[in-house]
Amino acid sequence: MTPRFALVFRGLYLCLLRSASMLVPRRQRAEWWKEWRSELWHVRQACTPEASGSLRGEQEVAAFCLGAFQDAYCLRCDLRRERVPLATTKGSASQCMLFLTAVTVASCGIALLLPGVRAELQPSHYRIAPGLVLIQSARAAALDSVPTISAEQFQVWERRRQHIFDGFAFYRVVREPLSTASRGQTTLGIAHASLNLFELLGLSMRFPLSDGQAPDNVPRIVLSDGVWRSDFGGDPNIVGHRVTVGSLQATVVGVATPGSWRLPGKVDAWLLGPNVETGYGGAGFIVARLMSSEASNLWSEKGHLKAPTPDGSLDDFLCVSLAERTRGPQDIFLFAVILACLALPATTSLPLGEYRQSSHKLSWSTRLRRWSFLLSKLALLLPIVYFVSLDLAYLRITFDTFTSEYIQLVSSFSICLFGLRWVLRDQRQRCPVCLGKLSHPAKVGQPSRTFLAWNGTELICVGGHGLLHVPEMPTSWFSTQRWLYLDPSWEILFAEPTVVSTGYF
Amino acid sequence: MAMEAKLSHTAAMILQAVNAGHIYGFSVMEMTGLPSGTVYPAMRRLERDELIRSHWEQQSIADAEQRPPRKYYKLTRAGKMTLEASRKRYPLLAKLISSEQVESI
Repeated sequence: MTPRFALVFRGLYLCLLRSASMLVPRRQRAEWWKEWRSELWHVRQACTPEASGSLRGEQEVAAFCLGAFQDAYCLRCDLRRERVPLATTKGSASQCMLFLTAVTVASCGIALLLPGVRAELQPSHYRIAPGLVLIQSARAAALDSVPTISAEQFQVWERRRQHIFDGFAFYRVVREPLSTASRGQTTLGIAHASLNLFELLGLSMRFPLSDGQAPDNVPRIVLSDGVWRSDFGGDPNIVGHRVTVGSLQATVVGVATPGSWRLPGKVDAWLLGPNVETGYGGAGFIVARLMSSEASNLWSEKGHLKAPTPDGSLDDFLCVSLAERTRGPQDIFLFAVILACLALPATTSLPLGEYRQSSHKLSWSTRLRRWSFLLSKLALLLPIVYFVSLDLAYLRITFDTFTSEYIQLVSSFSICLFGLRWVLRDQRQRCPVCLGKLSHPAKVGQPSRTFLAWNGTELICVGGHGLLHVPEMPTSWFSTQRWLYLDPSWEILFAEPTVVSTGYF
Repeated sequence: MAMEAKLSHTAAMILQAVNAGHIYGFSVMEMTGLPSGTVYPAMRRLERDELIRSHWEQQSIADAEQRPPRKYYKLTRAGKMTLEASRKRYPLLAKLISSEQVESI
C-alpha cells in the first residue's frame, strides 16, 4: 500500500473518531479523544505496519474505529442516568401536567358539545361587509345600547340624495305577542326592521324561504335560533307558515344563524317589511353602508357626522364601525388575559424566590426542565381559560350576545387571574431540582423575635435536594422565600433502602 | 462501591486481563478477542465502579519512544476482591487468561 493511501486511511479514521466524539458529553470529550487517538496509533502500528500494509489490516483498524461510536453512546447514556429524575411523590410535576391536560381536554370537549360555543367558534359569523356603520345620536354616545334615532329621522335621511351612504336600514325593538294557530301566544322581543336589514348586514339564515315562495304583500319574520328551539321545538317545517305579531300577519322565512346578531337590542325575531319599522313611531337604530369611496376614509372605528333633523336643523351624530361590534371571542379572551396580567402584581408577588446563595450549581438541563415546567403550566392554563369561559358564557343558548360576552369577559379575567396566581404559587412550592412538591412544613422562630432572627415556615424536599425558608413577615433582610441546597453530606438521611446494582451489559 | 457487584463473564474476563498485565484497551482487546465497542465501555464502567483505576503515561516516556502517551489501567483493592469472587463463579477464567503473563511497565 502506498504512503498516499495510508494517509487517506488515517484521515478517514480520524474523521470517524471525531464524529463519534460528538456523542460524548462535552466535559469528557477531550480525554476521550486523547485516549482513542492514542489507541488508534497503536492499533495501526499493530495491524498495518508500514512495510506490509494490507487491506485486511485496514479493515481491522476501521472495525476498531467503529467501536468508538458504541463507547461514545454508552458515555452519553451514562450521563442521562446521572440526571436527577423527576419526583414521583403526590403532586409531582407529571401529575400536575396530567391534571392540567385533563382539564384542558374536558373543557374543550364540553365546548364542542355545546351548540352555542360551537356556533361562536365558527369564524364565518364575524365576517361583516366592509363600510358598515351604526349611526347614533352623539348626545347618547356613552350608551350605545339605547335607541336614539327616531323613525322620522330615518325617513328624512332615506328621502334625501346621499353622498356618503349607499344603503340604510332601520330597526327598533319592541316586546310584542307572537302567536301561532298551533302553539299559542308568547311575548318576544321583536325587531321591526327594514326589509333590507339582513341583506345589508350580510346575515345568513337557515331554512330560507325563496323570494318566489314568500308573498310580497305580507311582512316576513325571521326567528332567532333560541326562539326557534324553545318555542317551536326546532321544527324546520315552521318556515313558510303564518304567525301573528301583534296585529300583523307575517310569514316565517327562516331561522337566523345562532350568534350572528351583534347589534344593540335583545332580539327574538325580526319582522321585515316595508314600513313595518316606522309604523308605530319610537326610537330605533340605523345601520348604514358607506359608499366604497368613503369607506376608505373611515380611518378610526368612530366618526362624527352632521346631518339634518326632521325640523330642518343640523345635529351631531356618531358613526360606529360595525367591525368593532363584531369581534369574536378571541378578542375578548385576549383583552381579559392582558387585564389579568396587569392585575396580577397587585394580588401576588411575582418573584419565584431566591436560589442564588449556594455553591450548588445545577446543570443547565435541570434548570431548563424547571423553566419548561413553568412555561408548560402557563401554556395549558390559556386554553383552559378560553374554553371554560366560553362554556360558561354560552352554556344556555337563550343568553343574548351581550350577556354572553359579559360572562366571557368576567369569567376569563377571573379564571386567568387566579390561574396565574396558582401557577406562580405552585412553582414556588416545588423543589427546583426534582420539581416535587415540598412537604413537612415546620414553624421556625418566634414572631416576637422577628427583628432579631428569622421567623417563618420551613419546607423540605423529600428527595433531599434542599429546604425552603418562607418568612412569616417580609423584612428588609429577608423579603422573599429562600431555597437552601443541601450538600451531599445529607444524602445518608434520604438514601434509598436498597441499592440497585447496574449491570455491565 | 457500596456492595460487591456480580460481574458478567465478559466484565470478569476484562478484569482478569487487566490483572494479568494487559493494562491498556488495545491489549485487552487482543487478549480477550472482544471488539473495541465492548471493551472500552466495559472498562469505563469498571472504572466508574472503582474496580479499576486509570492513569496517563508520562509524556517524556512516550516522547522518548516517539509515540503518543497511553492510558493505563490497574485493579483496585475492590477490583481484586471482585475478581476473586468472579474466579469462583467462573472457574475457567484463570485458564483463559493466565496471570503469569504479567508484564512490567
